Amino acid sequence: MPSKGLKRLFGAAAAMALSGTPAGAQKEITVGFQSDRVGLTQTICAVICPAFHDYMALVNSKGGVEGYKIKVLEIDTEYKVPQGVEAYERMKKEGAVAVALYGTAIVAALTQRLNDDRIPGTAPGFGNAVAADGRRYPYLIPMAAGYWSQAAGGIQFAKQALGGSLKGKKIGYLYIDNPAGREPLPILETLAKVEGFELRTFAVPAPGLELGAQVLDIAQRYRADFVMAHLFGRSPSVAIKEFKRVGYPLSKVLGFVWSAAEADVEAAGGFGVAEGYYTVQFAGVGPDHPVRAEIADMYKKEGKPVPRELASTVYYNRGIVWAAAHVEAIRNAVKAKAGGMPTSEDVKKGFETINAKSLAAVGGISPPLEITADDHEGGGWVQIFQVKGGKFVKASEWMQAYRDVVKKHLEADAKRN
Amino acid sequence: MEWEFTLLLLVNGILIGLMYALIALGFVLVYKATDAINFAQGEFVMSAGIIAAVVVAASTSFFLGVVVALAAMVLFSFLLERVMLRPLLGRPIVAVIMATIGLAALLRGLLPLVFGAGTRPISLPEFIGEEPIALGPVMLQPVQLVGAGVSILFLAGFSWFFLKSRMGIAMRAVADNQQVAMAMGINVERYFALAWAMAGIVSALGGVVWGSMLGVDVHLALVGLKVFPVVILGGLDSIIGAVVGGLIIGIVENLAAGYIDPYVGGGTKDFAPYVVMIIALMIRPYGIFGKRKIERV
Amino acid sequence: MFHRESGIFKTTYAADMALYPLPIAKATVAVIAAAVVLLPFVLGALMPALSANYYLSIINLIFIAIVGALGLNILVGYTGQISIGHAAFMSVGAYTAANLAVRWDLPFWITLPAGGLMAALIGAVVGIPSLRIKGLYLAIATLAGQLIIEWTINHVPAISGGAQASIEVPKPHLFGYEFKTQGQLYFFLLFFVALAIVATLNLVRSRIGRAFVAIRDQDIAAEIIGINIYRYKLLAFAISSFYAGVTGVLYTYYLGIANYEQFQIVVSIDYLAMIIIGGLGSVLGSVLGAIFVTLLPIAITWIVESLGTLVFEMQQIQHVVSNVRVITFGLLIIVFLVLEPEGLNRLWRNIRNYFRVWPFSY
Repeated sequence: MPSKGLKRLFGAAAAMALSGTPAGAQKEITVGFQSDRVGLTQTICAVICPAFHDYMALVNSKGGVEGYKIKVLEIDTEYKVPQGVEAYERMKKEGAVAVALYGTAIVAALTQRLNDDRIPGTAPGFGNAVAADGRRYPYLIPMAAGYWSQAAGGIQFAKQALGGSLKGKKIGYLYIDNPAGREPLPILETLAKVEGFELRTFAVPAPGLELGAQVLDIAQRYRADFVMAHLFGRSPSVAIKEFKRVGYPLSKVLGFVWSAAEADVEAAGGFGVAEGYYTVQFAGVGPDHPVRAEIADMYKKEGKPVPRELASTVYYNRGIVWAAAHVEAIRNAVKAKAGGMPTSEDVKKGFETINAKSLAAVGGISPPLEITADDHEGGGWVQIFQVKGGKFVKASEWMQAYRDVVKKHLEADAKRN
Repeated sequence: MEWEFTLLLLVNGILIGLMYALIALGFVLVYKATDAINFAQGEFVMSAGIIAAVVVAASTSFFLGVVVALAAMVLFSFLLERVMLRPLLGRPIVAVIMATIGLAALLRGLLPLVFGAGTRPISLPEFIGEEPIALGPVMLQPVQLVGAGVSILFLAGFSWFFLKSRMGIAMRAVADNQQVAMAMGINVERYFALAWAMAGIVSALGGVVWGSMLGVDVHLALVGLKVFPVVILGGLDSIIGAVVGGLIIGIVENLAAGYIDPYVGGGTKDFAPYVVMIIALMIRPYGIFGKRKIERV
Repeated sequence: MFHRESGIFKTTYAADMALYPLPIAKATVAVIAAAVVLLPFVLGALMPALSANYYLSIINLIFIAIVGALGLNILVGYTGQISIGHAAFMSVGAYTAANLAVRWDLPFWITLPAGGLMAALIGAVVGIPSLRIKGLYLAIATLAGQLIIEWTINHVPAISGGAQASIEVPKPHLFGYEFKTQGQLYFFLLFFVALAIVATLNLVRSRIGRAFVAIRDQDIAAEIIGINIYRYKLLAFAISSFYAGVTGVLYTYYLGIANYEQFQIVVSIDYLAMIIIGGLGSVLGSVLGAIFVTLLPIAITWIVESLGTLVFEMQQIQHVVSNVRVITFGLLIIVFLVLEPEGLNRLWRNIRNYFRVWPFSY
């Protein structure tokens, strides 16, 4: 290994000597990337983070973005706020034009700072639903359906699944009892009025290692017609097992974005046990996407084994979409500057000019995101998948649900503060 | 219907309570014999779970996984006692608590580094399986039955050990007064090592049982948090206390979730045990079965 | 700090307890004070603004940690009562201040003491079990306190400010001057750090401080010599929680937001690590520990990155960096406890003692 490292050093020195310019400074764009490889969400980062790097490496191997290489500056925060603040300041120092944020508390802690420094921060699946409001949080870009849009999508799907009407139906909402878990409640309550269904909530205190009583309640006492499960960590696996135990059909259970990765299903006893379980996703699931093949090829060409993480398609694909949004934002920014080095503000505008066609490079993994200055959520696109025959199968197309309701809530929340 | 629901909740509570007891036993064993407090109990369970999961996945033999996890945990506990806990003997309680907290961080960093951070399943052997077992209206999860069984087995085994066997009696003597025990010709250090090894065994089985219920990753360490209300309620140095405490906590949790949650609109399941614990602390500061210590100046 | 006395000539207890053991100590303190005040300007002159800004942001985090560590050390180090629920007191302070600042638009010089006092009150309540129980039982009672406080904040919208349990607060301002940049916040925080250090130094040499130490060393004996241990234990909890509350408020102003996830059990553990590594029952130890624990992850990342990239590609070591950090953190706690129970403070004293007679050490 040392010889390879030395070679790299010499190579870099030679390249610098030949080009005559400080190679790094001119042609490189830095993107900050906060990760959590040892904290409580490490199981997610273990897949999403390599995916983010892999996609950036793929883009670089194909010549970069409009002639610029992308440098990812990853700093681990352990899911802790002080570390997140320090990491952000270091990224700022290194001239990051955008920062990928990781962790709800860190997103909250950095929101004001992003505004002050005019650096766009992305947080798909983290942070608050209200961050979708681009006027209120100009530099915070969730870039994927927040919990409100997910809840709306879930209800729309339940409506289809239960035969086109929810009138008089009973819907149970099983959630981890923390701010993120409670977030969809206002949307669900409004939709209950609109669609005329009965909503009952079942709180699971974090970390939710045992939720026998709640599942029992849903299945035996409340007898819900459909269940939305907004769980994190190990609780999704436990929930699947418990539903199975009490004999509640899993084809009436829909998990939100953090409650259905391959590993969760495996830990619940395998795909056979979880047969029928639905999940809402903001990035496409499954191995059949050309961009994944390209990444595998890139590794093969370098003579390295294809990374294990690819097998976990739920999180891996999410990481690809996350990275791709940065790439396209930078591309837009560079184009707008006619090839000039973009600033962080340019990249922010770059994000806001991402349209339905921008993310074509990653194919069906990404929804037709359309991020605007107002809508930082990109339209609130979600897709439903189902566990069927040993894998996740598409159960719906990309869809947007109850946009008017979500918008109304965003406006009401903006007014309140 | 309502009585049936209550019955189901109770069964749930009993089963899960016995599984809590399994984790708590490791804690109690160490405290009983060596006066050391192990805040890394959850991480022990996690380590055992990860090792078992890796071996089961590599060898496809469930029993090999259990055996390797057992061996690894016993070895590790021995080593730990020698390197870390012996120098801390006689030091303030804060020191031991903090040292085990440090150990917890160490294990949480080390095991994912060696074996990877992803979630792994531990699949139970074929004859146990995943299919729920029906007993009238009550549906039982096989893994919980295994956990409860192991728990009861340990309860019986350790009770016999401490009451009847020569070694157990010696260990009680060590716990009671190290100096006198030493004067009576008991090899105190050997019994300390033995106590930790026993805790290692309990943690290993706890890791396998909880691991096959939850799946194995760093979250498994969070079961350690369940230990505290259980042991405080039962009494820190009582084996039977760990089991009774586990049962009470399991039942309280389930009843709270079933009958309090709907009225307060939030999850009281993790919160109720601690309230019960605090009340118990105010009434009986040394737990239901705990031994009151007389302090001398 | 850098002076060396040639012998011990103190003849009264008062002289022994004096804040400045020698007249020259005043000069040392003055030099340190001047250095600390001038630091941002020096940094600003030496390097580009963005870099200076980065280093100041780290120092600011250290400042906040120092206040919290001092408070926890009063409870754990001086009084011998353990608390693993300290982060919850920070959240009490943070939410009190945030609510006052947002609802009634109060300035920081009201919200900050208010946050501290509220935390002190809650802290004293959580400390009540300490009257009957000690050691592990107390540790777990405080853990229960943490969970119950978290639960309450989480479920009472009047406190948490809504479902997200986060309240955005405006930056602190004084007479129309706003503390906004890292440089400005530096002085804002510095003031409170200096205040906290001086207050602690004075507290521990007062009657109260000596009573705390007596309780730590042997509470029954302390009771026998006439110390009202109930009163002083609660007082220790209250004072310590006051510091924690203030820490929470400082965090809130520093970040511009109060969020309940910022104050979970891991934070309590970080603070405990600070005082263990720094030195239990020592003001200097609290400061050193806060610096050490805050810098540790940064330093390890820096070392592994700069050494590791010579051999490996960044992608390969990315995973290792974080794990090494956590492992080192755990190891350091254990190593300090096993080998140097009095922490960095003791190491510092050893170095000083060595140089006291240097170069004639025999």
